[in-house]
Amino acid sequence: MIIPWIGYSLSALLKQVEPRPGAKFVEFTTLKDPEQFPAQKPSFLGFGSLDWPYTEGLRLDEAMHPLTLLTVGMYGQVLPNQNGAPVRIVIPWKYGFKSAKSIVRIRLTDTEPKTAWNKAAPQEYGFYSNVNPTVDHPRWSQATERRIGEFRRRQTLMFNGYADQVASLYTGLDLKKNY
Amino acid sequence: MSARSRVALKIAVWVVALAPLAGLLYRYWTDDLTANPIEYVTRELGDTALRLLLASLALTPLRILFGLGGLVTLRRLLGLLAFFYVCLHFAVWIVLDHFFDWHTMADDIVKRPWITVGVSALVLLVPLAATSTTGMIKRLGGVAWRRLHRLVYVAAVLGVLHYIWLAKKVLVQPWVYATVLAVLLGIRGWDATRKVLKRRRPVLARTAP
Repeated sequence: MIIPWIGYSLSALLKQVEPRPGAKFVEFTTLKDPEQFPAQKPSFLGFGSLDWPYTEGLRLDEAMHPLTLLTVGMYGQVLPNQNGAPVRIVIPWKYGFKSAKSIVRIRLTDTEPKTAWNKAAPQEYGFYSNVNPTVDHPRWSQATERRIGEFRRRQTLMFNGYADQVASLYTGLDLKKNY
Repeated sequence: MSARSRVALKIAVWVVALAPLAGLLYRYWTDDLTANPIEYVTRELGDTALRLLLASLALTPLRILFGLGGLVTLRRLLGLLAFFYVCLHFAVWIVLDHFFDWHTMADDIVKRPWITVGVSALVLLVPLAATSTTGMIKRLGGVAWRRLHRLVYVAAVLGVLHYIWLAKKVLVQPWVYATVLAVLLGIRGWDATRKVLKRRRPVLARTAP
């Protein structure tokens, strides 16, 4: 579905801090506070839990793309808690879990950051997680989607419909291997 | 068990077993089926089906352990109610989730092990539901009928596997079901072994020098 996010390109912030030439990746860290986020409380034998805090990452060129949004609101309002208040990242051509919420730290680094879902299930979630209807998740097809409020599924578009804007970031990259 | 308490028990089973369905209908009317209604309904139906299936498998262990033989009268009802929920679960997948997209569904059944085992469990339950009438028990004969209905153990294992394999991360609940099923089948196994040993012992005594 199409969501009117409010924010600005992350690139504006990153330019302000003037990354050194060695910086190749950006890592995002979500607040770890089990009081506010009950799912982060220690669980029974570690069942159902991720390795908190939640972390995500992008290649620097992905992070600098104008469509990568540092987001503070939606639908004309400040971000509601469940949507990642007070500040989150939105990367519209990737699966939702890449868009880390409630960010407390942004770090520039020269090595590929560990990401939360990749750590939890490496065979199912890679670093890139670009929306790609031609590559199945090991346990389900990713060819179709159902938008909230719609009944019938629709065909999922390559890069979530942003192929014209972002496909050039991945020329020469095997997207089957780099899922 | 008196006829009266049997009727009371059956009514109780009907009420408890249909409550989840009533809950879903109520949530539908009050527009409270979460942001992802199809997934929510599918999970509720699947969950209830598994619980009822495990309940139907709990009756024999209750007899073995506590001598509650009268409860066996509930087995057919529980089994059929479980099958009813399995069918609803499957129907939601076909109609609401995939809207008769047979090609995608066939693809999923072949390619995704958790769907393969889920559909297999359903298929195994069909002959059991079909032969659940008293007439069919007589036609098949007790021995053949009992042998056929052992398929329920396979269906239950596949049902639990279906749940374990679909979870995005390691969840507690599927493993709770797995443990319950293992205990229920374990009690049966233990009881069967015990009976076999009991039958053999006198023979051994006679042949001993």
